[in-house]
Amino acid sequence: MSELSYVGKSFRRKDGPDKVTGKAMYAQDVKLANTLIGRILRSPHPHARIVRIDTARARALPGVKAVITVEDTKGIKHGFVETPRYPPDQEVLARGKVVHVGEEIAAVAAVDQLTAQRALELIEIEYQPLPAVFEPEEAMQPGAPEIHRSHPKYEGPHANIGGNTETAWGDVEKGFAESDYVREDRFECQLRTHGYLEPQATLAHWENDKLNVWTSSMGSFVKRAKLAKTLDLPYSSVRIHKTYVGGTFGGKIDLYSHEYCAARLSMITGRPVQVVASREEIFSAYRHAQPLILEIKTGVKKDGTLVAQRIRAINNAGAYRGSGVVVIFLAWGFTMIPYRIPNLKYEGLSVYTNHTVRAPQRGHGAPKVRLAIESQLDMIAEALGIDPIAIRLRNARGPGERLPNGDDTHNCGLSDCIRLAAERSGFLDKFGRDRKSPPSGTIRRGIGIGVSAYMGGTLIYPNGSGVIVKMNDDGSAVVLTGAIDIGQGSETVISQIVAEELSIGMDDVRIISSDTDTTPQDIGAWISGMTYVTGNAARQAASNARDKLLQVAAEKMGVTVDQLVLKDKIVCHRLDPERRMTYREVIAHSVATRRGDTVIGEGYWRTMRDEANHPSLATTKGRWTENYAFSTQVAEVEVDIETGEARLVKALTVHDCGFPINPALVKGQIDGQISMALGHAFMEEVITKDGYTLNPNWLDYRMPTIHNMAISEDVDVITEQYRVGQPYRSKEVGEGLVSGILAAIANAVYDATGVRLHSTPFTAEKILGGLKRLQYQAKTARQAKTEPVRA
Amino acid sequence: MLEANESTPVTAKRSQSQLISLCVNGEWREVAVKPRLTLVEVIRDSIGLTGTKASCESGACGACTVLLEDRPILACLTLAIECDGKRVQTVEGLAEGGKLSAIQDAFLDQGAVQCGFCTPGMLMSATALLRDCPKPSREEINKALEGNLCRCTGYNAIVDAVLQASGQGVEPVMK
Ligand code: FES
Ligand code: FES
Repeated sequence: MSELSYVGKSFRRKDGPDKVTGKAMYAQDVKLANTLIGRILRSPHPHARIVRIDTARARALPGVKAVITVEDTKGIKHGFVETPRYPPDQEVLARGKVVHVGEEIAAVAAVDQLTAQRALELIEIEYQPLPAVFEPEEAMQPGAPEIHRSHPKYEGPHANIGGNTETAWGDVEKGFAESDYVREDRFECQLRTHGYLEPQATLAHWENDKLNVWTSSMGSFVKRAKLAKTLDLPYSSVRIHKTYVGGTFGGKIDLYSHEYCAARLSMITGRPVQVVASREEIFSAYRHAQPLILEIKTGVKKDGTLVAQRIRAINNAGAYRGSGVVVIFLAWGFTMIPYRIPNLKYEGLSVYTNHTVRAPQRGHGAPKVRLAIESQLDMIAEALGIDPIAIRLRNARGPGERLPNGDDTHNCGLSDCIRLAAERSGFLDKFGRDRKSPPSGTIRRGIGIGVSAYMGGTLIYPNGSGVIVKMNDDGSAVVLTGAIDIGQGSETVISQIVAEELSIGMDDVRIISSDTDTTPQDIGAWISGMTYVTGNAARQAASNARDKLLQVAAEKMGVTVDQLVLKDKIVCHRLDPERRMTYREVIAHSVATRRGDTVIGEGYWRTMRDEANHPSLATTKGRWTENYAFSTQVAEVEVDIETGEARLVKALTVHDCGFPINPALVKGQIDGQISMALGHAFMEEVITKDGYTLNPNWLDYRMPTIHNMAISEDVDVITEQYRVGQPYRSKEVGEGLVSGILAAIANAVYDATGVRLHSTPFTAEKILGGLKRLQYQAKTARQAKTEPVRA
Repeated sequence: MLEANESTPVTAKRSQSQLISLCVNGEWREVAVKPRLTLVEVIRDSIGLTGTKASCESGACGACTVLLEDRPILACLTLAIECDGKRVQTVEGLAEGGKLSAIQDAFLDQGAVQCGFCTPGMLMSATALLRDCPKPSREEINKALEGNLCRCTGYNAIVDAVLQASGQGVEPVMK
C-alpha cells in the first residue's frame, strides 16, 4: 500500500487564515454601491384569506423604489421536492390566502432600513381569518380546517395529508405472531431550529441582463436552478457567487422567498438589493426542523433476536410540502439500516398544519427515529434480562448484507463499533450501578448506548459533481469546484485530495469554489455526500491531470509511464531518480508539443451510476446509495434527583465513516453533533402558540453555551478496509452522529434514575415527574405487599 | 404623522448626523454617524470592516464582540456616538505585520474554526481574557466566553485553543 502524504492527515483549514483575520466574505459582507434595502411583509395570521392588498401608500413614500406582491411575479411555483407525484406547491409570495404566521406577502426596496420598515407599515391588507390547526393529529381528522387538499394519491381517511410513504419487507403480522415478546411505544419530539449564527442574507444585482446573487446557502447550483425557474430566466442569466457561509445545518437549502424578492426587486429597480433577515424573523417565520410522532411496535424472540417491527411516523409538516415528504421517506431508511429485522412495515404521513414550512435539519429525522428504536430496544432488553450491548450485537448488520431497498452495506463496521464502544466506556461495569445501589447525595450517574447509520450522497438535483484541475506553468494547481464550504471544510478536504494525487504541496493548491459561472456543477453541502461525491470528482480530475503529466514526461524521457513516479512536483524514473523532469518542464513540453495543451484535468462523480433516478419517496422503490456509515455512541449523564436537572458529562462516538480524509475535521463534525444533540436532549424548543413563536431569540431559545460542553471522544473503526484496492474511500460523518447520541442520552437518563422518557426535551420537570411516579409506584407496591389479601 | 407626499425619505428628516472620532485598530478616523446607529453598524457599514459579525443584534450571541478601550463589549448594543474619542479593536487588528497572534494561530491549530461566523467575536473575547489573565483556568475560560455562542464546534476545540495560546500544554492537532 502506498504511503499517503496529504490524505488521512489533519491539515489546518484552507479557509482558516481568512476566517481568523476577518477577511472571509459572507453574503452580508459584500457591499455594492447604491444598494437598496429590501424587507418582507409577513402574515400576522396563521390562516386567513387575503381580501385586498393596497400598496399605493407604500409606493408613494419617498425613498421607496419598488413594492412587489404576487401580482408582480410570474406565478411560477417551487418546492423542496419537484417530482411528478409531488409537483412544486409554493408561490414565492402568498396568493389569495396565507397559511402560516410569517408567510411572505409583499416586499419593498427602499433607500434605507427605516424607510423600508415604514413602507411595510403603509401596505394595507384586509384579511378574513380562517380557522387554523396546529397539531398534526387534529389536522388529520376529517372536518379539520383544510389547509390544502390531501394528496390525490392518498387513499386513507385523513385530511391535510401532504404526502405519505408506505413500504414493507417480509410479513410483519406473521413476525409478531412468531415473537416471544412484543411491545408498543409512542415517542414525540419538540420543534427545534438550526441555530446557524449567520442570518439568512441575500444581495442581488441585476446588471446587463444578468442576475448576480450572493446568498447564504448550502448549494449554489440548487439556488440557481430555483431562482432561474421562478424568475423565468435561463440558467446562464443567473450567477450565484461564492461566499463563505456561517452555518446552515439544513436550514439554507431550497429557495427562500427573500432570495426571490431581492432578485425581483433588483430587476425592477436596476439597483443592488440586500435583504437580511432579523433573528426574530428567522425564529418566527423561517423554516425549522420536523417534529415527528413515532409509533413503534416491535417483536423479539426470547434471546433478543428482532423478528418484526412496525413504525408509523406522523410529521407536523407545516403549511406547505417543504421537506415534509422527504423526512417521512428518510425515516424508513433510518429504521431499516442498522439492524437485521426480517419483517418490517412502515407508514409515514406528512400532515399540513398552520405552522411555518419545514426544512431538513442535520440528521433529517434520524435523531427522532433512532431515539424511538433505541429507547424501546433497551426496554425490551430489560424485560428479557439481556444487557444493552448483547441485544445490539445480536441484531447488528454485518458487511455485505442486502438492505430492504436493495442496497448493500459493503464494509459495515457496526459490530466493531458496538464492541469497541462497550469496551472503551466500560459500559457493562457502569450500567445499572446507581440504580442498584444508589449513592448518597442527590447526583445519580447513568450510562446509555445508541446505534445509528446514515447514508450519503443519495441522488437529488443536481445529482453529481464535476471538478476541474488546471495546472499552472510552475506546477501548482487551480481547482475549480462547485463545492460550498459551510464550515465542514470542503475546501481543505478537496485540496488534500488534489495535493495527494498530484504530489504537490497544500500551498500549491488554490481553490476557486461555489460560483455557478466559473465552477462545474456540484451537489452541494447537503444529503451528506460532499466528501464522497465531490471528493471523488476531485480525485478523478487530479488523476486525469497526473496521467497527462506522466504521458508527456514519458514521451520526453523515452520511457513508459509505469517506470515513472511523481514526487514533490518532479517526475522521475523509478529506478534512476537522476532521470527527472520538473512539472514546470513537463508542462512547458506539453504546451510545445501538444498544440498548447496546458494540462487540465477533469473529473466527475455521482452515486449509483447504474440507477437513473432517486428512489420513490412514496413507495421507497429504487436503490439509494453505495455509501452507508455506521456508528455507536455512548452517553454518560448526571442527574440531580432533587432538582431534576440532567446534563451530558461525556460522549463517546465510535464510527465507521470510511477513510477520514482529515481526522481533525472529522472530530470537529463529531463534537458539533454532540453539542447539537445535547441541545436537542435538554435545552432547545421553539415554543409556539396558535402559530406564533413565543421565544424568537437566543435568550429564550436556549442553545448550548460553553457551560454545556461535554467531553467528546471518538474512535474510528475498520479504517484500513477503506484503502484496500483503492487509495481511500470516504463515507458519511456530518449528520448521522446527532442520532445515536440522543438515544444514548435517553437511555443514560433511564439508567441514572429509572425514569423512561418518551418525549424530548428531557426537562427537569419531566424527570422530576417521572421520579415522583416511581416513588408512588414503589409505595403502592409496598402497601399491596403488606396489606392482607382478601379472599 | 408622516405624509406620503413629503419629498425626502423618512430617515433623512429624522436625525442629523454627528461627527465622531474613533481609533480603530490603531488608526484614528472621523465618521459621520446618526445617533441611533450601533457600533457594529458603523464598523461594518461606514468604516467597511466587515470582519465583525452581526448575528442576533440583541446581545444574545457575542458575534459582534469588539474591544472598546481593551474591554470586550457587544457592538450591537453599543451606540456609536458613545464611543466618540475611544479606541476600538476588531478582528482585523489582531494580526500584527501579517503575523497571526497566538490565539489566532491556536484557533487554526485546534480546529476551533468551522463556519467561522462566531470566530471574530470569540477571538476578541479570548484576546481580552488572555491580556488580563495569561494562564486562565478552564473555569476562567468558560466565564470569559460564556456570552459567545458557537453552533459548529461544541466549544471543546475553542477551549483547547485558549489553553494552547496560553502555553498550558495543549499541543496543536492540525498542522
Ligand atoms: S450580534 Fe451582538 S450579541 Fe449577537
Ligand atoms: S464556527 Fe460556526 S458558529 Fe462557531
